[in-house]
Amino acid sequence: MAPEAKTRLSHRTRFVLGIYALLALPLAFLTVFVYLPFFWGFISSLYEFEIGASARFVGLANYREFLFKDPVTWPSFLNMAFLAGWGVMVRLTVPLLVAKLIHSLSNERSRHMYRILFLVPIVVPGVAIQLIWGIMIFSDGGLVNEFLRVIGLGGFAPNWLTDPHSALIAIACIGFPWVGGFEVLIYYAGLSAIPDSVNEAARLEGCTGIRKFFYIDVPMILGQLRLILILSIIGGVQTFENVLILTRGGPGFATTVPGLWMYYNAFSFQRMGYACGIGVTLFALILSLTALNLRYFKGAESLEG
Amino acid sequence: MRDYSLWIRMAKFGVLALVLALLVWCLLPQGQAAGKIGPQAKSSSAKYNIRVAIGQTYMPGTVPLGIGKELHGMADVVGAFEQRFPDTHIELITVPFDREYLVTQLSSGSAPDVVNVNVEDVWTDVQKGWYLALDPWLEQPNPFIREKNDPALPGFEKWWDMFKYQAISRGKAAPDQLMYCLSYDMVETGIFYNKDIFRKAGVEVPNTWEEMLAVMAKLEAFGVTPMTMYVDSFNDWGTDLIFDQLYYSLLPGIDLLQDPLREPYLQGYLDWDEICFLFQKGYFTKSDARYRDVFRIMKEWRRYCSADIVDSRLMLTDFVRQKAAMHWNISQLVYRLGADKDLGFEWGVFYLPTIGKATSKYASGNTMCVIGGSANQLEVTNTAFSDSRDPASSERLKRVMAFLQFICVPEQYEKVVNEYPCFISNIVGVESLPPMKPFVEILERPYTTTKWVFTFDLRFCDIQRRLLELYLNDAMDLDEFMRWQEDNIRTATDNLILRKPMDMAKMQVRWDELAPARATMEDLPSGS
Repeated sequence: MAPEAKTRLSHRTRFVLGIYALLALPLAFLTVFVYLPFFWGFISSLYEFEIGASARFVGLANYREFLFKDPVTWPSFLNMAFLAGWGVMVRLTVPLLVAKLIHSLSNERSRHMYRILFLVPIVVPGVAIQLIWGIMIFSDGGLVNEFLRVIGLGGFAPNWLTDPHSALIAIACIGFPWVGGFEVLIYYAGLSAIPDSVNEAARLEGCTGIRKFFYIDVPMILGQLRLILILSIIGGVQTFENVLILTRGGPGFATTVPGLWMYYNAFSFQRMGYACGIGVTLFALILSLTALNLRYFKGAESLEG
Repeated sequence: MRDYSLWIRMAKFGVLALVLALLVWCLLPQGQAAGKIGPQAKSSSAKYNIRVAIGQTYMPGTVPLGIGKELHGMADVVGAFEQRFPDTHIELITVPFDREYLVTQLSSGSAPDVVNVNVEDVWTDVQKGWYLALDPWLEQPNPFIREKNDPALPGFEKWWDMFKYQAISRGKAAPDQLMYCLSYDMVETGIFYNKDIFRKAGVEVPNTWEEMLAVMAKLEAFGVTPMTMYVDSFNDWGTDLIFDQLYYSLLPGIDLLQDPLREPYLQGYLDWDEICFLFQKGYFTKSDARYRDVFRIMKEWRRYCSADIVDSRLMLTDFVRQKAAMHWNISQLVYRLGADKDLGFEWGVFYLPTIGKATSKYASGNTMCVIGGSANQLEVTNTAFSDSRDPASSERLKRVMAFLQFICVPEQYEKVVNEYPCFISNIVGVESLPPMKPFVEILERPYTTTKWVFTFDLRFCDIQRRLLELYLNDAMDLDEFMRWQEDNIRTATDNLILRKPMDMAKMQVRWDELAPARATMEDLPSGS
């Protein structure tokens, strides 16, 4: 018995070791391409250096400058908060309503067709969408201003992306009606996963329509909502491509976000250490928000349980 | 039932074969796949493949501003060079001239051998070894002139002698006194104006700044936009010109350092070090009355410009469609206007006039300076000596320098620069095309006292541009603008002082020596 057990143990050990061996390779890549750059970024944030020039240790001076001296910091954080907050709001609501409507269709073929229709926008590259909005919709001769002129409100037609009062709102409006694909699919999957027994019980209890949506459906898809919430926050804090393409952060700093300021400092102003400091600050912010988010939603789930 | 499995298999293999063929075609070098002859075919056999980002102005195969025929001048010159140097292939490439591109390419050693960027952009990087100082070659004969055996020809003794605008070209030396660029040609700006509108509105070309404001007021009353100009023009050109007008008379009291190499052209030029020192003395702050007046005058000027100063396409469109009477632009616009058969109006060019005491009590009264100068500025990068990593022994670098010397030979140069009216010739013996004449005259004026944008600090430039956009569009008042601007200059000077060893003691000595001169000047900052 003993040798057989030893062999079995040996097989198991080999199996486990094999799994570890297989995990080692992606882990190594992850270390090289994710963890090391992060630590390198953190160490670099303690230095003042340009690409190609020698570095000078400055301790926490980059953080002090970014958080307390740089006049761009707080306007950019406010812009980011507005865009991220708006992004969270629309991504948690509009796609959910659309998913619910599709899910409520009685005909499976119709549901299938509508799912496809709402998925199609995923294939359009983000840059193309930004340019379409910038050139065809928000420009002076674009859709919005032409419409305003047609209805006799030409005097109120601003240059959406170059007017400091409208630029940030214009950026936030990009993607209207915010029902393109990914979120709809996630919510639809969540709604489809609600057991029939739950739906049946709700029906027998007379809980239908809007009441069912808020008291049954929404609590049952909290996992999906949490996922979208986390992704929206991370995206909202990190993203700057749309601003770079459409306004380069202007007019003035009206649409500048911290990510964009990091990019400019790194590659335009060549202040790599400072840019790393901004990057690490954003990382800390995302980590904190995600931790808060997880904690809050954990509580909600335990309440549900 | 018929068996279709064979057909299905054939179809599957057919698709697979098609995909494979496509893959092979994609992997083949372009020249071979297309069966091309000439330069592309040569690239595979040439020992030295030199990549030259010559810039859009002279890029063969392009149609300048979308008007007329495709350019071929530079291609002809390249062809002639490759005949002389069969082991070398010159590849003319188009690259983005964004700083992000240059920094990443240069730091990785994969930039083109020759790039075309404003040399001031290079100055911040020269200590990194990314660019090659051209002085040793410029001080030597141009071999293609030497072979003509005529000692009277410029370039026979020194390549430098071939350049027509000596002071401007030499004025492009970096603060380390070395020359990193070849000033291939010259550019100047001018106010393009619609003569027909001027006639109808009863106005004439202004001779003073005050007259210009009056002309703009009349044009506005006439129902046209008096002037169109881009916010970047305000930021770059406008700041320098107005600054020069108000500070020129202060130079005897504040010009602390004389640059032996650049002084003949940049007379009294305030360098970075001087700006840093003067800022510590209270200059260029919100309490510096002159500095404040620079932006007050700019705002007064902006009132007569189009509502939108951000969308550069609208500026020219409004001028061409006769909605605007004037448009500030560079000499290249001559080609655009001259080639437009449907333009429907007569146009001319004049330059900005002198600011008088009626506009600002700080006006120096000097002739309005220029802010143009070198147009296409060619720099040699570290890629050019990547074969040996040592410029002294690099064979590749010899070909690169030979190419630059070759394109300066008058008969070759003429094919390029005078292919269409765009820029001003900088080579002795090659006259500029007739439409360039007004700009040649403007170019004779003195240069600005300092160039704030692009030379001082890159972050400073970016922030100033953003602030000006807000200020000129009434999104912030002058007080708020000055507060931001002071912070902006403080950050820039702090960074410069950290990055660059400056001899503040030497400037302080000179500062003390110039105290008597400053004692006669009015409204100086309190630190004076």
